[in-house]
Amino acid sequence: MESTQQAKTTAVKGTDTAREVRALVKNIYKSAHEAKANGKKVAYFMVASQYDEVIRAMDVIPLPTENYAGLCAAKRDMDRFLLKAEADGYSQVLCSYARIGLGFDSLRKELGRIPDNSPDGGMPAPDMMLGSSAVCDPRFKWYQAASRYLDVPTFGMDVVAPPPQDDLNEVRDYYIQYQRDQVQGLIDFLEAQTGKKLDKERLWECIRLGDKAWQLWYDIDRLRVAVPSPMPSQDHFSIMVAGHYYAGTQIAVDFYQKLYDEVKYKVDHKIGVIPDEKYRILYGGGLPPWHTLWIFNYFESFGAVFVIENVYRGFDPVEVPSHVKDPVDYLAWRAFLRYTAYHEKARARSGNPTVEKLLGMIEDYQIDGVVFHACRSCRATTIGQTHIKSELGKYCDLPMMQLVSDMVDLRDYSEAQWKAQIGAFIEALQARSGRR
Amino acid sequence: MPFGGIDIGSTMTKVVIADEKEQILASHIGPTGAEHRHLALAVMDETLSQAGLSIDQLRFIVATGYGRINVPFADKQITEITCHARGIRALFPSAKIIIDIGGQDSKGIKLDADGKVANFVMNDKCAAGTGRFLEVIAETLGINLVDMGDIASRADGFVQISSMCTVFAEHEVTSRLAEGADVAQIVAGLHEAIASRVVNMTRHLGIEKDVVVTGGGAKNKGLIKAIAGKVGFDVLTPPEPFITGALGAALVGKDFYDRGVRPAKERKKEDVTFFT
Repeated sequence: MESTQQAKTTAVKGTDTAREVRALVKNIYKSAHEAKANGKKVAYFMVASQYDEVIRAMDVIPLPTENYAGLCAAKRDMDRFLLKAEADGYSQVLCSYARIGLGFDSLRKELGRIPDNSPDGGMPAPDMMLGSSAVCDPRFKWYQAASRYLDVPTFGMDVVAPPPQDDLNEVRDYYIQYQRDQVQGLIDFLEAQTGKKLDKERLWECIRLGDKAWQLWYDIDRLRVAVPSPMPSQDHFSIMVAGHYYAGTQIAVDFYQKLYDEVKYKVDHKIGVIPDEKYRILYGGGLPPWHTLWIFNYFESFGAVFVIENVYRGFDPVEVPSHVKDPVDYLAWRAFLRYTAYHEKARARSGNPTVEKLLGMIEDYQIDGVVFHACRSCRATTIGQTHIKSELGKYCDLPMMQLVSDMVDLRDYSEAQWKAQIGAFIEALQARSGRR
Repeated sequence: MPFGGIDIGSTMTKVVIADEKEQILASHIGPTGAEHRHLALAVMDETLSQAGLSIDQLRFIVATGYGRINVPFADKQITEITCHARGIRALFPSAKIIIDIGGQDSKGIKLDADGKVANFVMNDKCAAGTGRFLEVIAETLGINLVDMGDIASRADGFVQISSMCTVFAEHEVTSRLAEGADVAQIVAGLHEAIASRVVNMTRHLGIEKDVVVTGGGAKNKGLIKAIAGKVGFDVLTPPEPFITGALGAALVGKDFYDRGVRPAKERKKEDVTFFT
């Protein structure tokens, strides 16, 4: 039987700058290969771990294994890695990012080379692996499991945040001290692996660049309150590459400055993502369906634009007190302030920081409906999602929908069911606005 | 002024012709199954024949259900969620929540004060909570699907079926039979399991009176009893639960017509095409 052509996975972007991200992604893996060839240290790492700038300051080349899994899905070349990990004994309920990474490592070890035709040239074997407990447990345990295939040292950094009910004045110092110790532990580890001392001035510079990029990213999202929407969520899922995979570099700052200028121009000239924006949708949470990003264009075909999202730009800019003079202290303070930014609002109303964040978005962005993506193998973004959706329903009266699949594992996706749900969701929006 | 609605579900194709007073003039149900898909047109013809009408006399035809996408004689396609809501609104103006248990999926629908869809939930990509689940287990038990409600009503308790994966549940039922469990109690346990699943799903919308259960599942007395037990009060069922989607489709067509919308293209009396 003749095989069918590979399905389209990517989405049509709304901004020109977002189209430049593909080159940034390619460069991640190219840089890692070049670094290996030049004797530089390469580290597997997890984004948003609050340690990103430390890696840059130590001149270690970061290799994001989660991103690689997303890339494989976008290329619809994930099955061989997923199946390999499963054949090695990893359960199908384990994070599919981790399964792709472990399957890739397993195949590379078995073959003695990078698997043929791996997306973007594949990942070279790292010199070390830097896990993190930020976001979820697989990000901490994944690299320990990968030691089965890679004989390189692993460091797992704990990232902690207090629950919203805590009295922050009471717990602050303890959390910050603990986080500081964790970052210092990572620095000690990197110094041992690279044989050089951390240059704190260099770390300050990376932090400044990191904060500047994230400030610009925040400013871009504030521009997106405009009607019509100047930049859709599918662009966000691309442009996050700069903020996460180039954190602490001038590349990220330049990229977001360029994007800011483009989005500002679109706002000033009322240039929307689509000519006739009827409904403004909030992507309420969950990792994106990397295997089927065109679905956002499918929504647009009904006049529905995803104008903002609750994923990836997980933190608004925070102001670390001026008495903090040490960059390691600064990282610990910044992490604490980032993670507790919505705690006060949560205590005053719903008790849930995410619900408060979403309610703010609904108001600011004039949202007509909310869509969540429940990823079967991502416990971190999926557990609690139904609860958040229910809680949100207590404070706002909007159509909400939870689509279910996985971030990369296509076996959990049903196009027919999604289209049926989307059709009903659009009709609910139409009924509310009297447009049917 | 007659209006037509056709609901092509995974197992049944249903057609309703209703008038401007929202009364059903004629209805007919036929199988959808793979080899019968071309029968959609035959079901429509049979219904027209009952009503003594020709297709050209229908002012508006709306298609709904999974097979709605390519119905050459339909003027518009609308999802089954909107159509069920419209059909139930006509039958039960007091309805706030609809639970639709179909052959392929189940849905919870919340209606707003105007009877329009305010929110909805659908079951996951599995047979649990659907008619298919009962169909598979009925086969395992060697009983007729249509008898399951009566059989369950004879049970003085139920055997707990913990697996909601249809395949695992089938294994579990086989094991219980081997242990000598009473068939009636097993069937009652299956109804409890499905009721649990669909009611929990619908709780996300906030359950309030009146709750109407529709779709093929509403024909099953045992399931209705189990659902009522879960929500804590009696639930309503339409006199003919299979056709509420098709009725809603006909009435959505009437709504379009009342707003001045007219069929945009010539209707083609051709077979429904599922594969394009």
